[in-house]
Amino acid sequence: MGAIRFDNVGRVYGTKPGGFEALKGVDLEIADKEFMAVVGPSGCGKTTCLRFVAGFDRPTSGTVSVDGVKVTKPGPDRAVVFQQFALMPWKTVRENIELGLRNKGVRKAERKERIDRILALMNLTGYADAFPHQLSGGMQQRVSIARAYVLDPEVLLMDEPFGALDAQTRVVMQEELVRLARRNPRTVMFITHAVEEAVYLADRVAIMARQPGRVKEIIDIRTIREAERWDDHEKIEDVMDLESFVHLRTQIWRSLREEKAMEIA
Amino acid sequence: MSRKAVVGGATIFAALALWYVATSVTQMISPGRFPSPADTWTAFGQITGVGYANGVLIDHVLRSVTLVTLGFLVAICTGVPLGLWMGWSRKAEAVINPVFLIIRPIPPLAWIPLAILWLGLGDMAKILVIWFAAFVPSVINAYAGVRNLDKTLIEAAQMLGTPFLTFVREILLPGASPMIFTGLRLSLQASWTTLVAAELVGAMTGLGRVLNAAQQDLYPGMILVGMIVVTLCGWLMTAALGVAERRALSWNTASQAGE
Repeated sequence: MGAIRFDNVGRVYGTKPGGFEALKGVDLEIADKEFMAVVGPSGCGKTTCLRFVAGFDRPTSGTVSVDGVKVTKPGPDRAVVFQQFALMPWKTVRENIELGLRNKGVRKAERKERIDRILALMNLTGYADAFPHQLSGGMQQRVSIARAYVLDPEVLLMDEPFGALDAQTRVVMQEELVRLARRNPRTVMFITHAVEEAVYLADRVAIMARQPGRVKEIIDIRTIREAERWDDHEKIEDVMDLESFVHLRTQIWRSLREEKAMEIA
Repeated sequence: MSRKAVVGGATIFAALALWYVATSVTQMISPGRFPSPADTWTAFGQITGVGYANGVLIDHVLRSVTLVTLGFLVAICTGVPLGLWMGWSRKAEAVINPVFLIIRPIPPLAWIPLAILWLGLGDMAKILVIWFAAFVPSVINAYAGVRNLDKTLIEAAQMLGTPFLTFVREILLPGASPMIFTGLRLSLQASWTTLVAAELVGAMTGLGRVLNAAQQDLYPGMILVGMIVVTLCGWLMTAALGVAERRALSWNTASQAGE
């Protein structure tokens, strides 16, 4: 269980007549265990939408709910992976991952077992006692993902999680996330402005437009991915070479470019 | 030995030699104005042996160090929590900050007469004055430490469902600790300055009392001994605080890079 629902969501900054309308009439449904990528130009409010689900911010109109319950505050049922990792610099890798489990009251022996398992899964074995600043950006983001996954959350919210990584690390992380997501599916809301990343990872891609921010189009990836058996290919570049992938990518690019063209005109 | 250490050692040696030459060999500076090394050594022998101003050196040192430590502890145990609270709660800030802004510009030493009026010449008056002096830097830096804390770390802690007390202990306090330690160092310096001044005004024993008595006795050698001992005590306590800081902030890359 973990369906996310946006009902006519709006966000206005400042008082009404002169206020800036950042989001207007956003309707979006992300099904249980569905991987939804959200793409759009900067300033379209995609991160704001994610922050509503996380409970960090609130819409000025409409409702955001998870499993039919309106979101009012942050909580470990909706784990967030931040673009800038947001690991506690004074805690070791193990302590960072452990905090959420301790807050949930998980017993010590079970904590150790679950952390060891997630460390192995994320290729972090041997780094449990390192401090974040001793790790590379890619490893820090793996810790951040481990911290979220170890809680076994219904919903996983990822805000441009690979945006701060270099191109090579990014590809490795994308492949790892695909493996993780297919083996252990969760409801995922994944914000990105990289179209290829969205097509590669997601079941569906929501395209947002701006001024005011809204959902413009939703594109189904999963049907084609399963029909064309993308998951048989282990490497991202092999998938990206497939005609079906290129076609979807182009379709999304066109949709985004229409936006840009309208802006200029 | 590094080049820097050699140059530093040479400079200190030259200064000591100059002191000796100026006061003892040429008598360019009269011994009534500034003591010679021999006078200073004699004064040191007197205060460690028969004693001076109601006690031997160790009595004075213990008295001053005890009062500084007590005053400092009272100040930081009240100041740091208040600063954390003001940094965290907008309401607390709105209520306390105006009072703070009025009290803050009062020089701590200006409290001495009032403290003596309230509590006499005893220890309590000195602890009170140290508290006034050392409290302010503790509050301001703890407050700034919380305000400068990365917002996404706070959001991450909320997302992980961190209960309030755990949050204070494991996120707020360590996150603000680099600034808190800056405040503690300033507080410690303020504690020493204030204590010496308070003892100069009125005390039975203590390093400030030694300085005051030596001034009245026109005894430059003893004045210099008092100054040297005060400096050493302050320096040792600051060094001890530095050790505690490096232990507590071993995770902090910025503090390591700064060294």
